[in-house]
Amino acid sequence: MNSDKNHTLPFIALTVLRVLIGWHFLYEGLAKMMKGNWSSAGFLIESKWLFAPIFQWMANTPKVLAMVDFMNIWGLTAIGLALILGVFTRLASVAGMGLILLYYVCNPPFVGLHYSLPMEGNYLIVNKNLVEMAALFVTAVIPTGQFAGLDRIIHKLLKK
Amino acid sequence: MSEDKKEKATTNSKSLNRRDFLQGLAGVPVLGAMGIALAHKKSLEKVLTSSKKKVVSGDLSEINVALLGAGAQGQVLLNACLKIPGLRFKAVCDIWEDYNLKRVSRILMKYGQEVNSYQDYHEMLANETDLDAVIIATPDFWHAEHTVACLEAGLDVYCEKEMANTLAGAKSMVDAANRTGKLLQIGHQRRSNPRYIHAYEKLVKEAGILGRMTSVNGQWNRSVQPDLGWPKKYAIPDATLKKYGFKSMEQFCNWRWFKGLGGGPIVDLGSHQIDIYNWFLEAVPTSVLASGGTDYYVKETHEWYDTVLAIYEYETKNGVVRAYYQTLTTNSSEGYFENFLGDQGTLHISESRNRGSVYREPTAPQWDEWVNKGYLTAPEKPKQIAAGAVLDVRETIAPDRHDIPLAFTDPYHQPHLENFFNSIRGTETLNCPAEIGYETAVSVLKVNEAVESGRRMSFAKNEFHV
Repeated sequence: MNSDKNHTLPFIALTVLRVLIGWHFLYEGLAKMMKGNWSSAGFLIESKWLFAPIFQWMANTPKVLAMVDFMNIWGLTAIGLALILGVFTRLASVAGMGLILLYYVCNPPFVGLHYSLPMEGNYLIVNKNLVEMAALFVTAVIPTGQFAGLDRIIHKLLKK
Repeated sequence: MSEDKKEKATTNSKSLNRRDFLQGLAGVPVLGAMGIALAHKKSLEKVLTSSKKKVVSGDLSEINVALLGAGAQGQVLLNACLKIPGLRFKAVCDIWEDYNLKRVSRILMKYGQEVNSYQDYHEMLANETDLDAVIIATPDFWHAEHTVACLEAGLDVYCEKEMANTLAGAKSMVDAANRTGKLLQIGHQRRSNPRYIHAYEKLVKEAGILGRMTSVNGQWNRSVQPDLGWPKKYAIPDATLKKYGFKSMEQFCNWRWFKGLGGGPIVDLGSHQIDIYNWFLEAVPTSVLASGGTDYYVKETHEWYDTVLAIYEYETKNGVVRAYYQTLTTNSSEGYFENFLGDQGTLHISESRNRGSVYREPTAPQWDEWVNKGYLTAPEKPKQIAAGAVLDVRETIAPDRHDIPLAFTDPYHQPHLENFFNSIRGTETLNCPAEIGYETAVSVLKVNEAVESGRRMSFAKNEFHV
């Protein structure tokens, strides 16, 4: 009983973390969707560092770009929904990490790289993308969906 | 965490109970909250688009249109018209048959609109019996004759600005519109631009965001441009040129620079912006003084002034406003814009797409109310002064900048043309009827008189009424 109580607060805290990340993802997806003509081209074109040629190729190849845009919008939306509802939490967390990793390596805040688009803060190697990715690592390994989320119901039904 | 503990923290028993359901659906209210926030955001954005009137669906009765004057400006208007549903082009008229007329007919053909071509507008009016409206984009000195004839033929008219190159001509146009009861829209297209409508209706009028307006300045500066040429094999025969009032092909192509034909840059460019001065100040000027001349180009081919600087005085309901305007054709510095200055802020606006901001005077109250209503974007703080630089006590700190959060990506003339066609259908009223065009013509043509006389010119109150 004692250990149960001890674990409730950490699980509430982690659930809050998961839901907030989910909100961020979902709104990023919806906003891009509602904009109608949103494209990742501007972000990709800016790419610096090792993988810049790949990202720039994506931006300059209309068919690939259309696919990237589509996957971005729906990826963000689906991951966001899953994290908020707590369904397939682990899968959503890992997918979210993958997506953010791509954003990070596209425009990493490394020493000596300069971007024409201004960033809203000051970063040296670690930026908010990396922090969010680490947070998703936490929600991927701790099953908060089974504490508060649809995963709890699914889990029970499957166990029956 | 051991398996056992994890089990306890996540699920307490093997079967689904009430608690499982409540905790299982914990994320659903969050989605609801996002839905509410999104709906609120959408309703704010709606405020912004309300300035842009939409065509009333269900009333798209086809309007039969003719284009009179198929040169560069005629083509601009035509391109905008081709984006407007419910129009059927029937005829095109231009004296440059081998070039303008052919080009425009071909474009219309591509859009599936077969038109009859005319050199003489009398012939067009006589033959085309099912026309509803005509768009006039001929040189300024033809506007009065063309407009009066079309109105009298029972057509609604959209006439490019400047409405006429003489006040007598402009007067005859207003008279003809009143006499025939037909619509006459003058092509000051900013009057229908959603960004300008937002700036005037919401910011200047409703929010009174500028406080007591004291001054206006504006300009249209352009780079040096060579005279317009023409493909030699398509030159118009001399006899035809003479018949329509031109001495040569060179004069025909560059009519804007010649006295008696056009009005020069102050009329071509300035009239758009001085029209905005009158609109936003809700007044007409009381006097103007001006300096100008053909300082750079060859005087024989540039009779009108390549450089004009003018200062107007207005008596508005809130007091005197002094307004400066300049047009240069030798340097493009800062392009074109209008600035309205009041004791609480500055409105900087331009037809050019990326310009539309309001700067709050540091001494003025915050504009949170208007930001919350969606009339303005949140303020952007001015860049900080470099470390070490000391702010002089006499210097005012730089104002916050707010942007006009309204995108407008249609061709510039499209909303003004839509306003004209919707007025024909009876779903809107003209944004720039003949009387307003006349006020602007009086305001602008006087600048050339002021330059010529070297004196400050006064406007009599009744001068602005026909």
